[in-house]
Amino acid sequence: MTAVQKRVFINKIALAFSTLSALIALGFLFWILGVLVMKGISALNWNIFIFEGAPPGYAESGLKHALVGQAILIGMATAIGVPLGILAGTYLSEYGKNSKLAHSIRDISDIMMSAPSIVIGAFVYAVVVMPMGHFSAWAGAIALGIIMIPVILRTTDDMLQLVPGELREAAFALGAPKYKVILSVVYRGAKAGILTGVLLGIARVGGETAPLLFTSFNDNFFTTDLNEAMPSLTVTIFNYATSPYEDWQQLGWAAAFILSMFILGLNILGRLILLAGKKRK
Amino acid sequence: MASIIDIKEECSLHVRNFEFTYKGAAAPSLKKITMPIAKHSITALIGPSGCGKTTLLRSFNRMHDLYPGNSYNGEIEFEGRNILSAKEDLIHLRTKIGMIFQKPTAFPMSIFDNVAYGMRLQGIKNKTELADRVEKALKDAAIWKEVSDRLKHDANGLSGGQQQRLCIARAIAVEPEVLLFDEPTSALDPISTQGIERLVIELKERVSIIIVTHNMQQAARVSDYTGFMYLGELIELGETEKLFVTPKEKLTQEYITGKFG
Amino acid sequence: MIDKLFFNFTRLSALLILIIVAWIFVVLFNHSLEAMHTFGLDFITKDEWAPNLDKFGAYAAILGSIISTTLAMLLAVPIAIGVAIFLSEIAHDKIKGFFGISVELLAAIPSVIYGMWGLFYFVPIIRDIFGGLGIGLLAAGIVLAIMVLPFMAAVTRDAMNTTPDILKESAYALGGTQWDVIKDIIIPYAKAGIIGSLILALGRAIGETMAVTFVMGNVHKVPGSILDPTTSIPVTLANEFSEADSSLYFSSLFGLALTLLVMSFVVIAIAKFYFLRKARRAS
Repeated sequence: MTAVQKRVFINKIALAFSTLSALIALGFLFWILGVLVMKGISALNWNIFIFEGAPPGYAESGLKHALVGQAILIGMATAIGVPLGILAGTYLSEYGKNSKLAHSIRDISDIMMSAPSIVIGAFVYAVVVMPMGHFSAWAGAIALGIIMIPVILRTTDDMLQLVPGELREAAFALGAPKYKVILSVVYRGAKAGILTGVLLGIARVGGETAPLLFTSFNDNFFTTDLNEAMPSLTVTIFNYATSPYEDWQQLGWAAAFILSMFILGLNILGRLILLAGKKRK
Repeated sequence: MASIIDIKEECSLHVRNFEFTYKGAAAPSLKKITMPIAKHSITALIGPSGCGKTTLLRSFNRMHDLYPGNSYNGEIEFEGRNILSAKEDLIHLRTKIGMIFQKPTAFPMSIFDNVAYGMRLQGIKNKTELADRVEKALKDAAIWKEVSDRLKHDANGLSGGQQQRLCIARAIAVEPEVLLFDEPTSALDPISTQGIERLVIELKERVSIIIVTHNMQQAARVSDYTGFMYLGELIELGETEKLFVTPKEKLTQEYITGKFG
Repeated sequence: MIDKLFFNFTRLSALLILIIVAWIFVVLFNHSLEAMHTFGLDFITKDEWAPNLDKFGAYAAILGSIISTTLAMLLAVPIAIGVAIFLSEIAHDKIKGFFGISVELLAAIPSVIYGMWGLFYFVPIIRDIFGGLGIGLLAAGIVLAIMVLPFMAAVTRDAMNTTPDILKESAYALGGTQWDVIKDIIIPYAKAGIIGSLILALGRAIGETMAVTFVMGNVHKVPGSILDPTTSIPVTLANEFSEADSSLYFSSLFGLALTLLVMSFVVIAIAKFYFLRKARRAS
């Protein structure tokens, strides 16, 4: 074999390996999604939405408590994380820009995005649960909110920076004060991007289990009292799936299916919005 | 319709009714181009932006194949065969027809390894042979004196003009028949540009050269033949001096006198 | 004057990040003091976790974290690089889009789902092939590898895509094959970005809790073999935080949380400040 022929051969092998890797990754995706859809759909029934959790063996058992609880926790976390995240991102893009402080904040925020979420749970346990003396929805929401802030901060910062400087200058030239320029021109220009960031932030936080384990805890009872432990879909999945009870495991699959569809849906929606925004330009 | 000079000397390449369509495009970007490329000479391609001169250049070494979906029609004859055919061995073709790009493209490796890269690809392992040929290529590219004492240093430490000469050394080290230059001095300062132009003129002793340039004066300084292109067609091809002084086509004259750019 | 107010609001929100991060370290540190004073270095080096005796040496958990993460990286890195090469160099437009979206969907699936799938579908396979419980270090390593794979592939692909086309074309123009260009041009060029991405993925893997909790076993013992159940730091925290009953127990758990945070923070910071910065400077 000549040197050239050898190279061509090695090329084929390398490309084959790469393609194989991609197929392996795709294989796992289909395996996991397939299992999820099959077991999830077969476990779905109306009971899930009507009944709250019950001891194993009870016929009238459902996920109402977990679904509502998850919605409450996500809603509260969003109310905390989104405004703070957007405001912080605005500071970075419009005021801080390239200053040392801004860079430090961006760097620390990036690191926090990849840091273990269970540690945030431990932190919130110490500063909220211990003083309160018990688990609560507040604690869970704060933990999720803290996780959300860096995500929203990053996307807001990036999206606002994409708005062309000329737009800002034009508004300034008309005599608008800076906050008005930001609110009416910059935000509007980055609308789609910020919205996508929010959706992705919610998707990121909506799937979190670890930070809730000892902040909002979990139980089988439907509640809307924010001062009590608040059930969540994610922790319920954990509890039910690791239990030895068949009916609880079934509910676990149903919950997993609903959760995944919600999160994947948010992801897809976020990307569609971004695409639509790009097309209009 | 176009005025294409008939070249009596030996030719490296013959383009015949060459048509090129980009992927997904409604109309061809190159329309029925026919032209000879003379051996041991410099042929310049000039024309306004978007006229297709770079598209034509990149067809000679089938660079377009890197991006699937494009289509060729017609023929480009080289070494007695049509290099547009699907059976053409592209790896072999590219060792015979080399290319220098718009920006210097030194590889992330030492100066020596850069120049040796093409040769190593061909399987040349003998250290003495490599060292000799690298030295010869660097000398032919008029950069040997400046780098002979730091061959193991990273090529990115060189200046822009030096890097471009390094790229030329790298290309001629594999001893090609044809060298394609795609606006090689557009990213360089005037002094480096001069150096490259002098080098290109020296190189034509050994290789046939096709150079795309948006700078008419450069074409006039450097080339033996000049082809003027407009909107994907070759309007005129002639001996450089004659084309610039007494162009045969009205369009050519308008471009040369700056009526449009 | 509204202007000033708005400015202050935004700046305060931005500073909040720094404040929260610092606060987290302080709180965890304070709450671990009791354990640190009681056990000293033994906390990290002793394999003796006995809550009913109020003795806490977290060696098993720390070792479990290190081994499971290392195993996961060994499995995931080659495949992630393969996927990245496929996505950036091989796939044609439509396939690229399809695979790209698939990778991002995989990354979006909550980790608790990976854990559940791992427990019900992967563990039985390990049990069938190797015997034993199925639950343990091997299962945890594999599930963790599958979890980090999408993120790793995506960021590695992004790093590779920073290579300028013109540089790649120069190598092709000399007669290079795709693999030549990948190994001689793209990987050296994007080296800093690729390594940074891999280390970043490592930092995430260290903190991964739910995917691993399902399949690791929560047994505080240094495993005899790769098939034995054991524990890791996040798994310990997940399983025991809500059951801790003495202040020393809690303090030990906070100590674990602090250890985990420091480990993860350091790894991610190294990736970010050393490698990824280098990448940005190079381009």
